[in-house]
Amino acid sequence: MARVVVDPVTRIEGHLRIELIVDEKTGKVQDAVSSGTMWRGIELILRGRDPRDAWAFAQRICGVCTSIHAHASVRCIEDALEIQIPKNANYIRNIMYGSLQTHDHLVHFYHLHALDWVSPVEALKADPVQTAVLQNQLLEKYGAIAELVPDPIGHRAYPRKFPKATPGYYRAFQEKIKKIVESGQLGIFAAHWWDHPDYKLLPPEVHLMAVAHYLNMLDVQRELFIPQVVFGGKNPHPHYLVGGMTCSISMNDMNAPVNAERLAVVEDAIYTQVEAVNLFYLIDLLAIGQIYVQKGQVYGGGLAKKRVLGYGEFPDEPYKGIKTGDYHSKILYHCNGVVEDFAEGIDKAKYYPMVGKDFADPNVIQEYVAHSWYRYPDESKGLHPWEGITEPNYTGPKEGTKTQWKYLDEKGKYSWIKSPRWRGKPCEVGPLARYIVVYTAVKQGHIKPSWMDEMVVRQIDLISKVLDLPPHVWLPTTVGRTAARGLEAQLGASANLYFLKKLYDNIKAGDTAVANMEKWDPSTWPKEAKGVGITDAPRGALGHWVIIKDGKIHNYQCVVPTTWNGGARDPMGGQGAFEECMKDTPVKVVDKPLEVLRGVHSFDPCLACSTHLYNTEGEEIVQVKVQGANICY
Amino acid sequence: METFWEAFKRHGVSRRDFLKFATTITGIMGLSPSMIPQVVRALETKPRVPVLWIHGLECTCCSESFIRSATPLASDVVLSMISLEYDDTLSAAAGEALEKHREEVIKKYWGNYILAVEGNPPLGQDGMYCVVGGKAFLENLKESAKGAKAVIAWGSCASWGCVQAAKPNPTTAVPIHKVITDKPIIKVPGCPPIAEVMTGVIMYMVLFDAIPPLDSQGRPKQFYGNRIHDTCYRRAFFNAGQFVERFDDDGAKKGWCLYKVGCRGPTTYNSCGNIRWYNGLSYPIQAGHGCIGCAEEDFWDKSPFYQRLTTIPLPSVEASPDKVGAVAVAAAAAGAVAHGVISKIRNKGGK
Repeated sequence: MARVVVDPVTRIEGHLRIELIVDEKTGKVQDAVSSGTMWRGIELILRGRDPRDAWAFAQRICGVCTSIHAHASVRCIEDALEIQIPKNANYIRNIMYGSLQTHDHLVHFYHLHALDWVSPVEALKADPVQTAVLQNQLLEKYGAIAELVPDPIGHRAYPRKFPKATPGYYRAFQEKIKKIVESGQLGIFAAHWWDHPDYKLLPPEVHLMAVAHYLNMLDVQRELFIPQVVFGGKNPHPHYLVGGMTCSISMNDMNAPVNAERLAVVEDAIYTQVEAVNLFYLIDLLAIGQIYVQKGQVYGGGLAKKRVLGYGEFPDEPYKGIKTGDYHSKILYHCNGVVEDFAEGIDKAKYYPMVGKDFADPNVIQEYVAHSWYRYPDESKGLHPWEGITEPNYTGPKEGTKTQWKYLDEKGKYSWIKSPRWRGKPCEVGPLARYIVVYTAVKQGHIKPSWMDEMVVRQIDLISKVLDLPPHVWLPTTVGRTAARGLEAQLGASANLYFLKKLYDNIKAGDTAVANMEKWDPSTWPKEAKGVGITDAPRGALGHWVIIKDGKIHNYQCVVPTTWNGGARDPMGGQGAFEECMKDTPVKVVDKPLEVLRGVHSFDPCLACSTHLYNTEGEEIVQVKVQGANICY
Repeated sequence: METFWEAFKRHGVSRRDFLKFATTITGIMGLSPSMIPQVVRALETKPRVPVLWIHGLECTCCSESFIRSATPLASDVVLSMISLEYDDTLSAAAGEALEKHREEVIKKYWGNYILAVEGNPPLGQDGMYCVVGGKAFLENLKESAKGAKAVIAWGSCASWGCVQAAKPNPTTAVPIHKVITDKPIIKVPGCPPIAEVMTGVIMYMVLFDAIPPLDSQGRPKQFYGNRIHDTCYRRAFFNAGQFVERFDDDGAKKGWCLYKVGCRGPTTYNSCGNIRWYNGLSYPIQAGHGCIGCAEEDFWDKSPFYQRLTTIPLPSVEASPDKVGAVAVAAAAAGAVAHGVISKIRNKGGK
């Protein structure tokens, strides 16, 4: 038995360590440990502050999936204060959200994940002419995927930037790669396990295609975020506002934040998103994924096979509140639910909806600390976010010293990440989870599908046809998790076209309001209020919980995607999605566990997100046990 | 180590395009056209500088901002201008192999590499609130800084402490200058800094083999020499006394000054007003939100963001920018007073 440590896990946000216990003879991973190795304490910093400022603090939880915490935060405060935002603000927030999904997924695939699948070294062996031929064949073969995008605007004359499937294009990139490799200064490509046998799975032409696109997309990706820059003023960390947005609309004033020229900039960026996804991202993904699946790489599903969870997104129109249930009656992306046992087939999968009241129920979502560096009075029990206790209890490693680790202690405490559970059970969250929930809900007839739900089902059915495998076989795998992310990028870009059309139509009808300022003044607020803000971040289900007292934040808690996926084990023995995935992945070369790295990367880990919550000795913070559930429902 | 010009040639860049590039970046760096020959000479003779980019407590928004740079493109910086040898976010390798590579680079390029730090070290719990490769980031930071030629503090975390150091600072997070005291540190604050400011700072350092001229607080003067207020396109409305009184009112639609709804532009030194974000596309004020002062020390504890600075007189007619600026500075917290001094020196120099 070998104990393998990978620390730091790179090409992620934040600091993650993984430890594997592997049988060297069979390559089977017997056990796995996932540890978040930093924390910052942002919720504690939020206490006592103005709730209207909360979005800016909470947003700094993550600068990669930037704006999603701001999004959850303004929803949370608006839910507490019962503020309904104007139609335009809803459409604009949806476009900012859709742009985030599209950008974040694409950058993750190319810049944080692709090098686990493709290699610049292998790309050197490719024939640029054949690579161009290959891309054209793939565009032909997978062309139907582009037709899934509805285009209610229809302004684009032709694709501007893509595809560039010519021998010259590929020759230029191959030349560039060759020079970097020959110079001996590999820079960001240095010291990787390029000799791993998995890099031989793909033909050199696929390597060249994907590596060329990796470099090309480094330049193009910035344009995908333009809608956030126009509506929010910058990126990362665009500006939000409790009650709506600040980007006032006027077709009469040349200095207006939003006018016809600014909308044209947004429209152009959205079409660039559609083209980047349809003509680059999905084509590369399908080419790589199909070969990997054909070669039998259908492992790495782990927890996704057993249980996934989503919260729901894209309110079609403004809603009255989240905890009241109105939010879920307005959304178009019905990934709000839990699905168990999807891997056993769509008929056997069990579906449970997640609706407003579940987020206030102290028994539905809880966090445990039995294996995290915190102390609860009774660590066999979990606590709802409104009752959260944060008392640090750093215990050091199993082997090594407190400040110099050798191995962590999987039987004791070993991570700065808590363990959130749904009704006491671990769940995987993220694009794959959302796709499983929607597919199950539609196929089993639990919901009346919106156009987005129908698009998700069509995407999954199309890929199943290409792979010639049913969804329950290919979806809950490392390849499926990566594919769901790409498909969701397409969904995000489609949503942007849809909501931009709605924004145009609403402005045309004479409504230019972007902010509801009726409850801006704290004197209009109740003495005490509680709220929930939910969204589905690129990496999975995200919830913020707030209690406001006397105009100030009394308590603020976030339960975030990587806490769900990367959290430590619970006292009942349940393990999170990272650990389950690693255990479901065989290792070919024990000291170069590329497959495991690929599996962990397939979650798009974001560690600053998961390790932001907790208290230290900073005891000026009063630890208030909040009795939340029965105050304002 | 090969020079820029050699690297460019290797990438098939023509002499003509090379000179065009030199001219463009001279402009971006805020240098006069008379400096073009020097920039060309620097590009021809300076080697690619190895860079180690390490991450402490942070949210990675600085890296994300950096890769959005358009002039120069981040890909050109990373693949042609510098040799980015270590980066938690972009490096292909992981684990021990990468840590070993970092140690080798430190040894091989001792005294010649640039250390870029994103985020900051927590001092609490012996630094074990931020652990990299099984030991405190604090140790990693000290180790990496020893052989560095210079250190860049990327963003407000490394420069000032930023959000995790806001009250009550649960992890005892400190800016990096509290830990590294024997090296020149270039502070590039902002949450995050503007992409073109980040690449502009690197361009200066690699081209002139020197750290850029800094103000008394360690920030490059060329990017942090003005208040947002000084270069804001809404400044004329401030001077004319035309203000947004409430978000989304008529003044907001007309793009009037946001000072009364809490804009920190008068006390914030950064390039948002002139360079703007996304290669000039927009900046927060252009999207209708006041500046929250994210490049300033302790700006998180100067909230609520929507409360206006109370003591700047609101002009109803044209006022001298210097007068308004001076009052603004006097009204701000102690740290900002130093800005005023620098501002005065600069103004004198200009006259």
